[in-house]
Amino acid sequence: MEKSFLEATRLNGFLEKLRLFGALHGPTVTDAGVTTFAPVTDPAQLLTDYRRTQIPPKKYLLPFREQLLSYRDGRYAEPAEAPPAIVLFALHPCDLAGIAYLDRVFLGDNTDPGYAARRARLTLVGISCEPDDFCFCSAPDAAANCDAFLATTKNGYLFSALTARGEEIAAAAADLLSASDVSQPAAALQSGTGVAPQDPELRFSDNPLWQKFADTCVSCGACSVCCPTCYCFDVREYPALDGGGVRIREWDNCLFATHGEVAGANFRPTRLDRLRYRFLHKYCGFTPLQGITSCVGCGRCKAVCPVGIDLRELFCAAGGEMSS
Amino acid sequence: MKPVRLAIAGLTACSGCQLTLLNCEDELADVLRRFELVYFPMAQSGGRKEGPFDAALVEGAVSTPADLDMLFSLRNASRLLVAYGTCAAFGGVAAMNNGQSTREELLRTVYGGQGSLPESFAPAPFGNFVSVDWTIRGCPPEKDEVVELLAALLAGTLPPVRSYPVCTECRSRENLCLLLEKGELCLGPVIQGGCNARCPATGIACEGCRGPVREANVAQELELLLERGFGRDEIERRMNRFKPGWDYGQRR
Repeated sequence: MEKSFLEATRLNGFLEKLRLFGALHGPTVTDAGVTTFAPVTDPAQLLTDYRRTQIPPKKYLLPFREQLLSYRDGRYAEPAEAPPAIVLFALHPCDLAGIAYLDRVFLGDNTDPGYAARRARLTLVGISCEPDDFCFCSAPDAAANCDAFLATTKNGYLFSALTARGEEIAAAAADLLSASDVSQPAAALQSGTGVAPQDPELRFSDNPLWQKFADTCVSCGACSVCCPTCYCFDVREYPALDGGGVRIREWDNCLFATHGEVAGANFRPTRLDRLRYRFLHKYCGFTPLQGITSCVGCGRCKAVCPVGIDLRELFCAAGGEMSS
Repeated sequence: MKPVRLAIAGLTACSGCQLTLLNCEDELADVLRRFELVYFPMAQSGGRKEGPFDAALVEGAVSTPADLDMLFSLRNASRLLVAYGTCAAFGGVAAMNNGQSTREELLRTVYGGQGSLPESFAPAPFGNFVSVDWTIRGCPPEKDEVVELLAALLAGTLPPVRSYPVCTECRSRENLCLLLEKGELCLGPVIQGGCNARCPATGIACEGCRGPVREANVAQELELLLERGFGRDEIERRMNRFKPGWDYGQRR
Protein backbone atom coordinates (compact mmCIF):
# COMPACT_ATOMS: atom_id res chain seq x y z
CA MET A 1 0.00 0.00 0.00
CA GLU A 2 1.33 3.42 -0.91
CA LYS A 3 2.45 5.54 1.99
CA SER A 4 0.41 8.69 1.68
CA PHE A 5 -1.08 9.37 5.07
CA LEU A 6 0.20 12.24 7.18
CA GLU A 7 -0.99 12.09 10.76
CA ALA A 8 -2.12 15.45 12.10
CA THR A 9 0.48 15.19 14.86
CA ARG A 10 3.20 15.03 12.23
CA LEU A 11 2.18 18.21 10.44
CA ASN A 12 4.86 20.33 12.12
CA GLY A 13 7.53 17.86 11.02
CA PHE A 14 6.12 18.01 7.50
CA LEU A 15 6.32 21.83 7.54
CA GLU A 16 9.99 21.58 8.47
CA LYS A 17 10.53 19.38 5.40
CA LEU A 18 8.74 21.97 3.25
CA ARG A 19 11.25 24.59 4.39
CA LEU A 20 13.86 22.69 2.38
CA PHE A 21 12.14 24.02 -0.74
CA GLY A 22 12.00 27.69 0.23
CA ALA A 23 10.74 30.14 2.81
CA LEU A 24 7.48 28.81 4.21
CA HIS A 25 4.45 31.04 3.74
CA GLY A 26 0.87 30.22 4.62
CA PRO A 27 -2.43 31.53 5.94
CA THR A 28 -1.99 33.49 9.17
CA VAL A 29 -3.88 36.28 10.88
CA THR A 30 -2.59 39.83 11.38
CA ASP A 31 -2.76 41.73 14.67
CA ALA A 32 -5.77 43.56 13.28
CA GLY A 33 -7.51 40.26 12.58
CA VAL A 34 -7.12 39.98 8.81
CA THR A 35 -6.38 36.57 7.32
CA THR A 36 -3.33 36.85 5.12
CA PHE A 37 -0.68 34.75 3.41
CA ALA A 38 2.53 35.61 5.24
CA PRO A 39 5.84 34.04 6.31
CA VAL A 40 5.35 31.29 8.88
CA THR A 41 8.14 31.24 11.42
CA ASP A 42 6.22 29.35 14.09
CA PRO A 43 3.76 26.61 13.00
CA ALA A 44 1.38 27.90 15.71
CA GLN A 45 0.77 30.95 13.49
CA LEU A 46 -0.61 28.78 10.70
CA LEU A 47 -4.37 28.62 10.15
CA THR A 48 -5.00 25.30 8.44
CA ASP A 49 -8.79 25.65 8.72
CA TYR A 50 -9.08 29.23 7.44
CA ARG A 51 -11.87 30.37 5.11
CA ARG A 52 -10.18 32.88 2.79
CA THR A 53 -7.43 35.47 2.91
CA GLN A 54 -8.28 39.07 2.07
CA ILE A 55 -5.67 39.26 -0.69
CA PRO A 56 -5.28 36.11 -2.78
CA PRO A 57 -1.92 34.47 -3.52
CA LYS A 58 -1.61 36.56 -6.72
CA LYS A 59 0.38 39.01 -4.59
CA TYR A 60 3.31 36.59 -4.76
CA LEU A 61 3.27 36.63 -8.54
CA LEU A 62 2.06 40.12 -9.31
CA PRO A 63 2.85 42.46 -6.41
CA PHE A 64 0.52 45.43 -5.84
CA ARG A 65 3.35 47.74 -6.87
CA GLU A 66 6.69 46.77 -8.35
CA GLN A 67 9.54 48.52 -10.08
CA LEU A 68 9.98 47.32 -13.63
CA LEU A 69 13.13 49.27 -14.37
CA SER A 70 15.16 52.33 -13.54
CA TYR A 71 16.68 54.68 -16.11
CA ARG A 72 19.42 57.27 -16.16
CA ASP A 73 21.67 58.90 -18.74
CA GLY A 74 19.96 57.23 -21.68
CA ARG A 75 20.33 53.72 -20.23
CA TYR A 76 17.97 51.53 -18.28
CA ALA A 77 18.37 48.60 -15.92
CA GLU A 78 15.93 45.98 -14.73
CA PRO A 79 16.00 44.98 -11.06
CA ALA A 80 18.84 42.49 -10.71
CA GLU A 81 17.49 40.77 -7.64
CA ALA A 82 16.37 37.18 -8.16
CA PRO A 83 13.02 36.43 -6.52
CA PRO A 84 13.26 34.29 -3.37
CA ALA A 85 12.18 30.63 -3.31
CA ILE A 86 8.87 30.41 -1.47
CA VAL A 87 6.70 27.47 -0.48
CA LEU A 88 3.10 28.58 -0.34
CA PHE A 89 1.35 26.19 1.99
CA ALA A 90 -2.35 25.46 2.49
CA LEU A 91 -3.77 26.98 -0.67
CA HIS A 92 -7.41 26.22 -1.32
CA PRO A 93 -8.44 24.74 -4.68
CA CYS A 94 -10.06 28.03 -5.74
CA ASP A 95 -6.81 29.92 -5.21
CA LEU A 96 -4.92 27.21 -7.09
CA ALA A 97 -7.38 27.63 -9.95
CA GLY A 98 -6.74 31.37 -9.74
CA ILE A 99 -3.01 30.81 -10.16
CA ALA A 100 -3.69 28.42 -13.05
CA TYR A 101 -5.62 31.20 -14.78
CA LEU A 102 -2.88 33.78 -14.18
CA ASP A 103 -0.38 31.26 -15.57
CA ARG A 104 -2.38 31.15 -18.80
CA VAL A 105 -2.33 34.93 -19.03
CA PHE A 106 1.28 35.62 -18.06
CA LEU A 107 3.05 32.47 -19.26
CA GLY A 108 1.24 32.33 -22.59
CA ASP A 109 2.46 33.63 -25.94
CA ASN A 110 4.01 36.75 -24.46
CA THR A 111 5.63 35.53 -21.30
CA ASP A 112 5.92 38.17 -18.61
CA PRO A 113 9.51 37.89 -17.35
CA GLY A 114 8.82 39.16 -13.82
CA TYR A 115 5.86 36.83 -13.38
CA ALA A 116 7.73 33.88 -14.86
CA ALA A 117 10.73 34.40 -12.58
CA ARG A 118 8.55 34.56 -9.48
CA ARG A 119 6.39 31.64 -10.59
CA ALA A 120 9.41 29.40 -11.12
CA ARG A 121 10.51 30.00 -7.54
CA LEU A 122 7.12 29.22 -6.05
CA THR A 123 6.19 25.79 -4.70
CA LEU A 124 2.46 25.34 -4.24
CA VAL A 125 0.98 23.00 -1.64
CA GLY A 126 -2.79 22.80 -1.62
CA ILE A 127 -5.18 21.79 1.13
CA SER A 128 -8.85 20.87 1.06
CA CYS A 129 -11.37 23.29 2.48
CA GLU A 130 -14.80 23.74 3.95
CA PRO A 131 -16.96 26.24 2.06
CA ASP A 132 -18.78 29.02 3.90
CA ASP A 133 -21.70 31.25 2.92
CA PHE A 134 -19.61 33.35 0.53
CA CYS A 135 -18.08 30.43 -1.39
CA PHE A 136 -19.64 29.37 -4.65
CA CYS A 137 -17.18 26.99 -6.27
CA SER A 138 -18.52 23.74 -7.62
CA ALA A 139 -15.52 21.44 -7.45
CA PRO A 140 -13.73 21.93 -4.14
CA ASP A 141 -11.73 18.70 -4.49
CA ALA A 142 -9.87 19.80 -7.58
CA ALA A 143 -6.16 19.91 -6.98
CA ALA A 144 -4.67 20.11 -10.42
CA ASN A 145 -2.49 23.19 -10.27
CA CYS A 146 -0.14 22.53 -7.39
CA ASP A 147 2.97 20.55 -6.59
CA ALA A 148 1.40 18.64 -3.75
CA PHE A 149 -2.00 18.46 -2.12
CA LEU A 150 -3.20 17.56 1.35
CA ALA A 151 -6.75 16.27 1.56
CA THR A 152 -8.01 16.64 5.11
CA THR A 153 -9.32 13.49 6.76
CA LYS A 154 -10.41 12.69 10.29
CA ASN A 155 -6.99 12.29 11.87
CA GLY A 156 -4.70 13.87 9.38
CA TYR A 157 -4.13 14.41 5.70
CA LEU A 158 -3.89 12.33 2.58
CA PHE A 159 -0.84 13.50 0.70
CA SER A 160 -0.60 13.45 -3.07
CA ALA A 161 2.26 14.61 -5.26
CA LEU A 162 1.26 16.17 -8.57
CA THR A 163 4.56 17.34 -10.04
CA ALA A 164 8.23 16.38 -9.95
CA ARG A 165 8.69 18.89 -7.13
CA GLY A 166 5.78 17.26 -5.35
CA GLU A 167 7.61 13.92 -5.62
CA GLU A 168 10.67 15.56 -4.11
CA ILE A 169 8.55 16.73 -1.22
CA ALA A 170 7.20 13.18 -0.84
CA ALA A 171 10.75 11.84 -0.77
CA ALA A 172 11.89 14.43 1.76
CA ALA A 173 8.91 13.67 3.99
CA ALA A 174 8.92 9.90 3.40
CA ASP A 175 9.57 8.99 7.02
CA LEU A 176 6.58 11.09 8.13
CA LEU A 177 4.10 9.40 5.82
CA SER A 178 2.43 6.16 6.71
CA ALA A 179 0.28 3.63 4.93
CA SER A 180 -3.39 4.34 4.99
CA ASP A 181 -6.51 2.44 4.24
CA VAL A 182 -8.42 5.63 3.63
CA SER A 183 -8.82 5.87 -0.11
CA GLN A 184 -7.57 8.93 -1.95
CA PRO A 185 -10.40 11.21 -3.01
CA ALA A 186 -10.65 11.38 -6.76
CA ALA A 187 -9.07 14.60 -7.98
CA ALA A 188 -11.19 16.29 -10.59
CA LEU A 189 -9.49 16.93 -13.91
CA GLN A 190 -10.80 20.46 -14.32
CA SER A 191 -9.90 23.22 -11.91
CA GLY A 192 -12.79 24.12 -9.69
CA THR A 193 -14.95 27.08 -10.51
CA GLY A 194 -18.40 28.11 -9.49
CA VAL A 195 -19.49 29.69 -12.71
CA ALA A 196 -19.94 28.34 -16.20
CA PRO A 197 -18.80 30.63 -19.04
CA GLN A 198 -21.55 33.06 -19.98
CA ASP A 199 -22.75 34.40 -23.30
CA PRO A 200 -20.88 37.69 -23.97
CA GLU A 201 -24.15 39.20 -25.25
CA LEU A 202 -25.48 38.98 -21.70
CA ARG A 203 -23.49 42.04 -20.78
CA PHE A 204 -25.89 44.09 -22.88
CA SER A 205 -28.99 42.54 -21.32
CA ASP A 206 -31.80 44.84 -20.28
CA ASN A 207 -31.83 43.39 -16.78
CA PRO A 208 -32.73 46.27 -14.41
CA LEU A 209 -30.04 45.01 -12.02
CA TRP A 210 -27.45 46.64 -14.26
CA GLN A 211 -28.69 50.12 -13.42
CA LYS A 212 -29.11 49.23 -9.76
CA PHE A 213 -25.50 48.04 -9.58
CA ALA A 214 -24.27 51.10 -11.47
CA ASP A 215 -26.06 53.36 -8.97
CA THR A 216 -24.86 51.59 -5.85
CA CYS A 217 -21.28 50.64 -6.80
CA VAL A 218 -18.96 53.03 -4.95
CA SER A 219 -16.02 52.12 -7.21
CA CYS A 220 -13.88 51.34 -4.19
CA GLY A 221 -12.20 48.67 -6.30
CA ALA A 222 -12.16 46.08 -3.51
CA CYS A 223 -13.76 43.32 -5.64
CA SER A 224 -10.95 43.56 -8.16
CA VAL A 225 -8.14 44.12 -5.66
CA CYS A 226 -9.20 40.99 -3.77
CA CYS A 227 -9.97 38.87 -6.86
CA PRO A 228 -7.52 35.99 -7.39
CA THR A 229 -7.64 36.41 -11.17
CA CYS A 230 -7.84 40.20 -11.64
CA TYR A 231 -4.52 41.09 -13.15
CA CYS A 232 -5.04 44.45 -14.91
CA PHE A 233 -2.11 46.72 -14.30
CA ASP A 234 -1.02 50.26 -14.98
CA VAL A 235 2.51 51.23 -15.93
CA ARG A 236 3.77 54.67 -14.94
CA GLU A 237 7.07 56.49 -15.00
CA TYR A 238 8.32 58.76 -12.28
CA PRO A 239 11.35 60.96 -12.85
CA ALA A 240 13.79 61.23 -9.94
CA LEU A 241 15.60 64.30 -8.58
CA ASP A 242 18.95 62.99 -9.83
CA GLY A 243 17.80 63.18 -13.45
CA GLY A 244 16.99 59.47 -13.79
CA GLY A 245 13.72 57.81 -13.00
CA VAL A 246 11.78 54.62 -12.45
CA ARG A 247 9.06 52.76 -14.27
CA ILE A 248 6.59 51.05 -11.97
CA ARG A 249 3.76 48.60 -12.46
CA GLU A 250 0.74 48.78 -10.17
CA TRP A 251 -2.58 46.93 -10.02
CA ASP A 252 -5.18 48.73 -12.09
CA ASN A 253 -8.89 48.34 -11.69
CA CYS A 254 -11.72 48.19 -14.21
CA LEU A 255 -14.05 50.03 -11.81
CA PHE A 256 -12.06 53.25 -12.16
CA ALA A 257 -12.69 56.04 -14.65
CA THR A 258 -9.06 55.96 -15.77
CA HIS A 259 -9.11 52.27 -16.77
CA GLY A 260 -10.65 52.91 -20.18
CA GLU A 261 -9.31 56.42 -20.63
CA VAL A 262 -7.17 57.31 -23.60
CA ALA A 263 -6.09 60.65 -25.03
CA GLY A 264 -9.24 62.60 -25.69
CA ALA A 265 -11.81 59.96 -24.80
CA ASN A 266 -12.88 57.12 -22.56
CA PHE A 267 -13.88 53.69 -23.85
CA ARG A 268 -16.03 53.18 -20.75
CA PRO A 269 -17.23 56.62 -19.69
CA THR A 270 -19.84 55.49 -17.16
CA ARG A 271 -19.86 53.14 -14.20
CA LEU A 272 -22.44 51.04 -16.04
CA ASP A 273 -19.99 50.58 -18.95
CA ARG A 274 -17.32 49.53 -16.47
CA LEU A 275 -19.54 46.97 -14.78
CA ARG A 276 -20.51 45.48 -18.16
CA TYR A 277 -16.83 45.23 -19.03
CA ARG A 278 -16.04 43.57 -15.71
CA PHE A 279 -18.83 41.08 -16.34
CA LEU A 280 -17.40 40.31 -19.78
CA HIS A 281 -13.91 39.70 -18.46
CA LYS A 282 -14.93 37.66 -15.42
CA TYR A 283 -17.66 35.47 -16.83
CA CYS A 284 -17.19 35.37 -20.61
CA GLY A 285 -13.46 35.88 -21.16
CA PHE A 286 -11.64 37.77 -23.86
CA THR A 287 -9.50 36.72 -26.77
CA PRO A 288 -7.39 34.54 -26.49
CA LEU A 289 -9.13 33.32 -23.34
CA GLN A 290 -12.61 33.83 -24.75
CA GLY A 291 -15.07 31.32 -23.41
CA ILE A 292 -13.04 30.81 -20.25
CA THR A 293 -14.49 32.17 -17.07
CA SER A 294 -11.95 33.68 -14.72
CA CYS A 295 -14.21 33.42 -11.68
CA VAL A 296 -12.97 30.65 -9.39
CA GLY A 297 -15.77 30.90 -6.84
CA CYS A 298 -13.65 32.03 -3.89
CA GLY A 299 -16.34 34.48 -2.77
CA ARG A 300 -13.96 37.34 -1.98
CA CYS A 301 -15.77 39.90 -4.15
CA LYS A 302 -18.98 39.18 -2.29
CA ALA A 303 -17.29 39.28 1.09
CA VAL A 304 -15.56 42.64 0.54
CA CYS A 305 -18.20 44.63 -1.37
CA PRO A 306 -19.52 47.44 0.85
CA VAL A 307 -22.83 47.53 -1.02
CA GLY A 308 -23.44 43.81 -1.56
CA ILE A 309 -23.10 43.66 -5.35
CA ASP A 310 -22.92 40.16 -6.82
CA LEU A 311 -22.65 40.24 -10.61
CA ARG A 312 -23.73 36.60 -10.79
CA GLU A 313 -27.26 37.73 -10.07
CA LEU A 314 -27.30 39.05 -13.61
CA PHE A 315 -27.26 35.62 -15.16
CA CYS A 316 -29.09 33.92 -12.37
CA ALA A 317 -32.03 36.16 -13.21
CA ALA A 318 -31.46 35.53 -16.93
CA GLY A 319 -31.88 31.80 -16.39
CA GLY A 320 -28.21 30.89 -16.04
CA GLU A 321 -26.96 28.59 -13.34
CA MET A 322 -26.02 29.84 -9.93
CA SER A 323 -24.77 27.35 -7.44
CA SER A 324 -25.33 29.07 -4.11
CA MET B 1 21.04 73.31 -17.23
CA LYS B 2 19.20 76.33 -15.90
CA PRO B 3 17.88 75.69 -12.41
CA VAL B 4 14.13 75.56 -11.99
CA ARG B 5 12.93 78.72 -10.25
CA LEU B 6 10.49 78.12 -7.41
CA ALA B 7 8.25 80.08 -5.12
CA ILE B 8 7.00 78.32 -1.99
CA ALA B 9 4.48 80.30 -0.01
CA GLY B 10 1.43 80.08 2.20
CA LEU B 11 -1.87 81.92 2.56
CA THR B 12 -4.27 81.23 5.47
CA ALA B 13 -2.83 77.96 6.74
CA CYS B 14 -0.79 76.23 9.40
CA SER B 15 2.39 76.05 7.28
CA GLY B 16 2.33 72.26 7.60
CA CYS B 17 2.50 71.75 3.84
CA GLN B 18 5.62 73.91 3.54
CA LEU B 19 7.04 72.05 6.50
CA THR B 20 6.45 68.76 4.66
CA LEU B 21 8.88 69.94 2.01
CA LEU B 22 11.45 70.86 4.66
CA ASN B 23 10.96 67.41 6.15
CA CYS B 24 12.14 65.75 2.92
CA GLU B 25 15.56 65.59 4.52
CA ASP B 26 17.01 62.93 2.24
CA GLU B 27 16.14 64.98 -0.83
CA LEU B 28 16.84 68.53 0.33
CA ALA B 29 20.45 68.58 -0.87
CA ASP B 30 19.33 67.57 -4.36
CA VAL B 31 16.52 70.12 -4.25
CA LEU B 32 18.95 72.92 -3.35
CA ARG B 33 21.35 71.83 -6.08
CA ARG B 34 18.78 71.74 -8.84
CA PHE B 35 16.25 74.42 -7.90
CA GLU B 36 16.56 78.09 -7.32
CA LEU B 37 14.39 78.91 -4.30
CA VAL B 38 13.62 82.44 -5.37
CA TYR B 39 10.87 83.02 -2.82
CA PHE B 40 10.42 80.81 0.24
CA PRO B 41 9.80 83.17 3.18
CA MET B 42 9.23 80.36 5.67
CA ALA B 43 12.74 78.98 5.10
CA GLN B 44 14.85 81.95 3.99
CA SER B 45 14.78 85.73 4.19
CA GLY B 46 15.32 88.14 1.33
CA GLY B 47 13.31 86.37 -1.36
CA ARG B 48 11.73 88.12 -4.35
CA LYS B 49 8.03 87.52 -4.69
CA GLU B 50 7.92 89.25 -8.08
CA GLY B 51 9.37 86.21 -9.80
CA PRO B 52 9.36 85.12 -12.51
CA PHE B 53 8.91 81.50 -11.39
CA ASP B 54 8.73 78.22 -13.22
CA ALA B 55 6.42 76.98 -10.52
CA ALA B 56 4.80 78.34 -7.37
CA LEU B 57 3.80 75.86 -4.65
CA VAL B 58 1.27 77.68 -2.53
CA GLU B 59 -0.52 76.31 0.52
CA GLY B 60 -3.51 77.61 2.42
CA ALA B 61 -7.03 78.81 1.85
CA VAL B 62 -7.85 82.28 0.54
CA SER B 63 -9.56 84.22 3.32
CA THR B 64 -8.26 87.81 3.35
CA PRO B 65 -7.71 90.52 0.75
CA ALA B 66 -3.97 90.10 1.36
CA ASP B 67 -4.29 86.37 0.55
CA LEU B 68 -6.04 87.22 -2.67
CA ASP B 69 -3.39 89.80 -3.64
CA MET B 70 -0.66 87.26 -2.97
CA LEU B 71 -2.47 84.57 -4.95
CA PHE B 72 -2.95 86.84 -7.99
CA SER B 73 0.63 88.03 -7.75
CA LEU B 74 2.04 84.49 -7.66
CA ARG B 75 -0.32 83.32 -10.38
CA ASN B 76 0.84 86.14 -12.64
CA ALA B 77 4.51 85.59 -11.89
CA SER B 78 4.54 81.83 -12.32
CA ARG B 79 4.28 79.50 -15.29
CA LEU B 80 2.72 76.77 -13.13
CA LEU B 81 0.62 77.36 -10.05
CA VAL B 82 0.41 74.39 -7.68
CA ALA B 83 -2.38 74.20 -5.11
CA TYR B 84 -0.22 72.74 -2.40
CA GLY B 85 -2.32 70.80 0.10
CA THR B 86 -5.97 70.36 0.91
CA CYS B 87 -6.63 73.96 2.08
CA ALA B 88 -5.42 75.31 -1.26
CA ALA B 89 -7.34 72.66 -3.19
CA PHE B 90 -10.63 72.47 -1.24
CA GLY B 91 -10.57 75.03 1.57
CA GLY B 92 -9.48 72.45 4.13
CA VAL B 93 -9.99 72.75 7.88
CA ALA B 94 -9.99 76.53 7.56
CA ALA B 95 -13.21 76.33 5.56
CA MET B 96 -14.95 74.04 8.03
CA ASN B 97 -18.03 75.79 9.41
CA ASN B 98 -21.22 75.10 11.29
CA GLY B 99 -23.34 76.79 8.67
CA GLN B 100 -24.84 79.09 11.28
CA SER B 101 -22.36 81.66 12.57
CA THR B 102 -21.76 84.80 10.53
CA ARG B 103 -18.25 85.85 9.62
CA GLU B 104 -18.46 88.75 12.04
CA GLU B 105 -19.48 86.48 14.93
CA LEU B 106 -16.52 84.25 14.22
CA LEU B 107 -14.12 87.18 14.11
CA ARG B 108 -15.50 88.63 17.36
CA THR B 109 -15.08 85.25 19.05
CA VAL B 110 -11.46 85.01 17.99
CA TYR B 111 -10.31 88.63 18.20
CA GLY B 112 -12.53 89.89 21.02
CA GLY B 113 -15.31 92.42 21.13
CA GLN B 114 -13.14 95.53 21.27
CA GLY B 115 -11.41 97.39 18.48
CA SER B 116 -11.38 96.89 14.75
CA LEU B 117 -11.48 93.48 13.14
CA PRO B 118 -9.19 92.26 10.38
CA GLU B 119 -10.76 92.12 6.96
CA SER B 120 -11.61 88.56 6.00
CA PHE B 121 -14.10 86.42 4.14
CA ALA B 122 -15.12 82.75 4.13
CA PRO B 123 -12.01 80.66 3.38
CA ALA B 124 -12.08 79.37 -0.18
CA PRO B 125 -9.92 77.21 -2.46
CA PHE B 126 -7.69 78.65 -5.20
CA GLY B 127 -9.94 77.37 -7.94
CA ASN B 128 -12.55 79.95 -6.99
CA PHE B 129 -10.22 82.74 -8.13
CA VAL B 130 -7.47 81.53 -10.46
CA SER B 131 -6.61 78.63 -12.73
CA VAL B 132 -4.57 75.90 -11.05
CA ASP B 133 -2.10 73.74 -12.98
CA TRP B 134 -1.47 70.98 -10.47
CA THR B 135 -2.80 69.92 -7.10
CA ILE B 136 -1.04 68.12 -4.28
CA ARG B 137 -3.63 66.82 -1.85
CA GLY B 138 -3.44 65.88 1.77
CA CYS B 139 -3.39 67.40 5.23
CA PRO B 140 -0.46 67.26 5.32
CA PRO B 141 0.63 66.08 1.85
CA GLU B 142 2.66 62.92 1.38
CA LYS B 143 6.38 63.64 1.08
CA ASP B 144 6.55 61.28 -1.88
CA GLU B 145 4.02 63.32 -3.81
CA VAL B 146 5.96 66.52 -3.18
CA VAL B 147 9.23 64.98 -4.33
CA GLU B 148 7.42 63.40 -7.28
CA LEU B 149 6.26 66.82 -8.42
CA LEU B 150 9.68 68.44 -8.00
CA ALA B 151 11.36 65.64 -9.95
CA ALA B 152 8.77 65.93 -12.70
CA LEU B 153 9.32 69.71 -12.90
CA LEU B 154 13.03 69.04 -13.45
CA ALA B 155 12.12 66.69 -16.28
CA GLY B 156 9.92 69.39 -17.76
CA THR B 157 6.65 67.62 -17.08
CA LEU B 158 4.06 66.84 -14.39
CA PRO B 159 3.72 63.52 -12.56
CA PRO B 160 1.28 60.84 -13.75
CA VAL B 161 -2.11 61.20 -12.09
CA ARG B 162 -3.40 58.68 -9.56
CA SER B 163 -7.15 58.38 -9.33
CA TYR B 164 -8.14 55.57 -7.05
CA PRO B 165 -9.86 55.73 -3.69
CA VAL B 166 -8.25 55.05 -0.33
CA CYS B 167 -9.94 51.60 -0.26
CA THR B 168 -7.76 50.33 -3.09
CA GLU B 169 -4.49 50.80 -1.25
CA CYS B 170 -6.15 49.91 2.06
CA ARG B 171 -7.33 46.50 0.80
CA SER B 172 -4.04 45.87 -0.97
CA ARG B 173 -2.19 46.46 2.31
CA GLU B 174 -4.45 43.85 3.90
CA ASN B 175 -5.79 46.25 6.51
CA LEU B 176 -8.93 45.39 8.40
CA CYS B 177 -11.87 47.15 6.68
CA LEU B 178 -13.00 49.60 9.36
CA LEU B 179 -16.22 50.36 7.50
CA LEU B 180 -17.42 46.77 7.03
CA GLU B 181 -15.75 44.89 9.87
CA LYS B 182 -15.85 47.55 12.59
CA GLY B 183 -18.83 49.63 11.48
CA GLU B 184 -16.82 52.84 11.67
CA LEU B 185 -17.50 56.09 9.84
CA CYS B 186 -14.83 55.60 7.20
CA LEU B 187 -14.74 57.80 4.09
CA GLY B 188 -12.31 55.54 2.21
CA PRO B 189 -14.59 54.80 -0.77
CA VAL B 190 -14.99 58.46 -1.79
CA ILE B 191 -11.56 59.85 -0.90
CA GLN B 192 -8.58 60.04 -3.23
CA GLY B 193 -5.84 57.52 -2.41
CA GLY B 194 -2.11 57.94 -2.74
CA CYS B 195 -1.54 58.03 1.03
CA ASN B 196 -1.16 54.24 1.09
CA ALA B 197 -4.10 54.18 3.51
CA ARG B 198 -1.92 55.72 6.20
CA CYS B 199 -4.71 56.11 8.79
CA PRO B 200 -6.67 52.85 8.33
CA ALA B 201 -3.35 50.99 8.51
CA THR B 202 -3.10 52.16 12.12
CA GLY B 203 -6.75 51.50 12.89
CA ILE B 204 -8.05 55.04 12.31
CA ALA B 205 -10.95 55.45 9.87
CA CYS B 206 -10.33 57.64 6.81
CA GLU B 207 -11.35 61.21 7.68
CA GLY B 208 -11.08 62.42 4.13
CA CYS B 209 -8.06 64.71 4.27
CA ARG B 210 -7.21 64.14 0.62
CA GLY B 211 -10.55 65.26 -0.75
CA PRO B 212 -12.92 63.54 -3.16
CA VAL B 213 -11.79 60.88 -5.61
CA ARG B 214 -12.81 61.34 -9.22
CA GLU B 215 -16.47 60.42 -9.84
CA ALA B 216 -17.03 59.71 -6.16
CA ASN B 217 -20.35 58.00 -5.50
CA VAL B 218 -21.21 60.40 -2.70
CA ALA B 219 -24.90 59.52 -2.57
CA GLN B 220 -24.14 55.84 -2.05
CA GLU B 221 -21.47 56.51 0.58
CA LEU B 222 -24.04 58.61 2.45
CA GLU B 223 -26.61 55.84 2.13
CA LEU B 224 -24.32 53.10 3.37
CA LEU B 225 -23.25 55.18 6.36
CA LEU B 226 -26.87 55.97 7.19
CA GLU B 227 -27.65 52.24 6.93
CA ARG B 228 -24.93 51.59 9.47
CA GLY B 229 -26.66 53.84 11.94
CA PHE B 230 -24.76 57.11 11.65
CA GLY B 231 -26.79 60.31 11.76
CA ARG B 232 -26.92 62.62 8.79
CA ASP B 233 -25.41 65.47 10.84
CA GLU B 234 -22.54 63.35 12.05
CA ILE B 235 -21.77 62.17 8.51
CA GLU B 236 -21.88 65.68 7.07
CA ARG B 237 -19.68 67.00 9.86
CA ARG B 238 -17.09 64.35 9.10
CA MET B 239 -17.24 64.93 5.37
CA ASN B 240 -16.97 68.71 5.80
CA ARG B 241 -13.89 68.49 7.95
CA PHE B 242 -11.54 68.93 5.00
CA LYS B 243 -13.87 70.00 2.21
CA PRO B 244 -17.13 71.90 2.54
CA GLY B 245 -19.87 71.79 -0.05
CA TRP B 246 -20.22 68.12 -1.01
CA ASP B 247 -23.01 67.28 -3.43
CA TYR B 248 -24.77 64.54 -1.50
CA GLY B 249 -26.81 63.58 -4.53
CA GLN B 250 -23.74 62.95 -6.71
CA ARG B 251 -23.39 59.39 -8.00
CA ARG B 252 -20.65 60.00 -10.54
